[in-house]
Amino acid sequence: MTASLASRPRLHAALRVAAAVLGGYAFCWGFIALATSGLFALGMPFHDAEHLGSILGMLLYLAAFLWAFAARRLARVWLVLAGGGALMAGAASLVQRTLL
Amino acid sequence: MFPNFRQAMAWVHTWFGLVLGFVLMACFFFGSLSVFDREIDRWAIPASRHAAQPMPSFDTLLQPIFRDMQPSKESLDYLRDRVDGPLPARFDTVRSWGAYTTHRDPVLSLFTSYEVPNARDPDDAARGNRTIDPRTGAALPDDRLKIGSQFFYPLHYSLNLSWKDLGYWIVGLAGLTMLVALVSGVVMHRRIFREFFTFRPKKSTQRSVLDLHNMTGVLALPFHFFFAFTGLVIFAGIYFPVTHTQLNPLHEMHEKLEAEETGLPHDRAGVAAPLASVDAMAAEAQRRWAARGMAGEVGLLTVSHVGDANGYVSVYRAGTDRIALVGDGIHFKASTGELLREDPPRTAVDSVNTFLTGLHLQHFRHWLLRWLYVLGGLLGCVCIATGFIFFVEKRKKQHAAAGSQGSRVVDALAVTTVTGMLLAALTILIANRLLPETLPAGWPPRGDLEQYLFWAGWALAMAHAFVRSAPVAQGRPNPAWREQCWAVAAMAVAAVLLNWLTTGDHLARTVFIDTYWPVAGVDLFLLACAGLAAGAARRLGRRTAAGVRPAPRAEAAHA
Amino acid sequence: MREAALLAAALAACVAGMGWLALAMETHWTQVRPDAPTRAAVLRLRALGSLDLAAGLALCLRVDHASMAVLVWVMALAGAALAVGLVLTWRPRWLRALAWVVSRP
Repeated sequence: MTASLASRPRLHAALRVAAAVLGGYAFCWGFIALATSGLFALGMPFHDAEHLGSILGMLLYLAAFLWAFAARRLARVWLVLAGGGALMAGAASLVQRTLL
Repeated sequence: MFPNFRQAMAWVHTWFGLVLGFVLMACFFFGSLSVFDREIDRWAIPASRHAAQPMPSFDTLLQPIFRDMQPSKESLDYLRDRVDGPLPARFDTVRSWGAYTTHRDPVLSLFTSYEVPNARDPDDAARGNRTIDPRTGAALPDDRLKIGSQFFYPLHYSLNLSWKDLGYWIVGLAGLTMLVALVSGVVMHRRIFREFFTFRPKKSTQRSVLDLHNMTGVLALPFHFFFAFTGLVIFAGIYFPVTHTQLNPLHEMHEKLEAEETGLPHDRAGVAAPLASVDAMAAEAQRRWAARGMAGEVGLLTVSHVGDANGYVSVYRAGTDRIALVGDGIHFKASTGELLREDPPRTAVDSVNTFLTGLHLQHFRHWLLRWLYVLGGLLGCVCIATGFIFFVEKRKKQHAAAGSQGSRVVDALAVTTVTGMLLAALTILIANRLLPETLPAGWPPRGDLEQYLFWAGWALAMAHAFVRSAPVAQGRPNPAWREQCWAVAAMAVAAVLLNWLTTGDHLARTVFIDTYWPVAGVDLFLLACAGLAAGAARRLGRRTAAGVRPAPRAEAAHA
Repeated sequence: MREAALLAAALAACVAGMGWLALAMETHWTQVRPDAPTRAAVLRLRALGSLDLAAGLALCLRVDHASMAVLVWVMALAGAALAVGLVLTWRPRWLRALAWVVSRP
């Protein structure tokens, strides 16, 4: 994978950009969902959980975005951002189900 | 992809900065103008040039107007496809009435929302609005565009592109890019403390431009960071609508719980009830705020479930003396005036959130801070503009040698977004003064025409920038910069003169004789712009006459 | 009026403070005076600069609620740094008075 990407810099750049923008978005969605439902489950008022999740989420997006370009291996970036995002989102739905 | 962290950051800074920089210029520029949006409204709507007023009497002045109001044409058009059946001729079931004023507004905004019978989505509402003179209740004509608060202001957060919220998303990505550019810029800037105060205009163009780019970026770095960050936080609900999609069930559950806890009914009871004296409730609210050591004016008044037994009146304090969007809402039962709830003091998280959003939305009364905000915003514009210019300066010789058009295109786009944007803003102000008060029948509304002319002016500036950009492909400067600077100077002066000719409010009057700072401020700002633009044009003219200075290769060694 | 005077004083304090901090850097000191700065002078400049910036904050706090005062101060710092930077570029001799305060003949 790395060998073929190294010989196609434009494709590699496009995939990095996609990882930063889209992968980062997925990661932050998962984080905000888990933070909102999780903090609410732990007793924080709902809108507080929502706001705190969003505030931290935006900072996290910045960090994830920069990391997507700084990291050595692109595959790891996709795994962590998209995979991590999906895991957190899944956990959030589980929390929601237990609360309802 | 990159050999080290610094190079990765340099790549991101250059390419994301370039592409999203064009959007960010608009956000920062129109954002800066938005600090004084209501003052620009006064300039654009001479009929509203009087002093700011406190919230007038609800019982005697506002109530008859509210009862008379109906949904706007835009709202009805939006709802037509969202109902099963025809829309009623008159909407009588009122969900809410709202009146909003600020310490800067001589006019009062009124909002209404109505139940929509046969709506497919039960949350849909028909909405009405009206702007009135609070001294008399007279309505402002509908087709007067509030160029500041209804055009420049939404432009900076949505590019006035509301199709599928596309403008919001583009601005959102641009905001994130600003944060990325700031962090990556710091990583790239090796001598950030040593060069803190450094600006060397006498060196090569590349070096001076880079100095200015660094200076305007670093000196106001906290400002740039916080404005981009808080902007994203404010619209987080649009970018990450988690609680209206994936977690909607949780949200709904919470709404019901909250209605029970607060005692503010979520739905109508279906039983008619009268409306007690709202003026008495507002006075009681002011008494309670004063008792808490937070005396203040009424900023927002809302009546929910109008005409129903579950109706309640909410009185919110105007946020003038603190950064946080002060609410301190006090709620009364609409039919009797009895106190239902005083909003409790904010939680820690809520305080942080309202501080962050309040920092950006600026409801406070502090003229020095507002002007410092404008300075910060304009520094941001200079930072972005010098970024473009540096990009072109660094590459145009190589591109010229290689026969590439890259620098030429970027330079033309840079002219479009820097001087071109100024020309567009000036076009709408001049159009505002030149268009007749009443237009012939069949013509679009005056406000719409002003907007078309804005975009047309910008398009013309863009065409000019591209047509004149041929020298850049040969490694020389684009004459469009100088030419548009002269145009900016001329149009800015023209706008001030037109204000005088069409309204009689010349500077001697608005500053000394009959002082009115909103209009004087706009005129003075326009004249200052004209001065700066003329100075820049002269300098650019001298530089072209003297020939282009070479860029020593040892300087500006960046990736 | 009193508020305007206090805020003006705060701005002046921030400009002077930034000026002293700038002069603590050799490149900028030599723009203003022909001699090189002594180590003692540099330390004195940094101390004066920092104290003056703190004084600016204190003045802002006299005028407004804490959260607003801090914001005014941070923005004033940016404006002050810009002013000092531009003065150093075009009229460095204007900062002679600041340099004189720390130098001993």
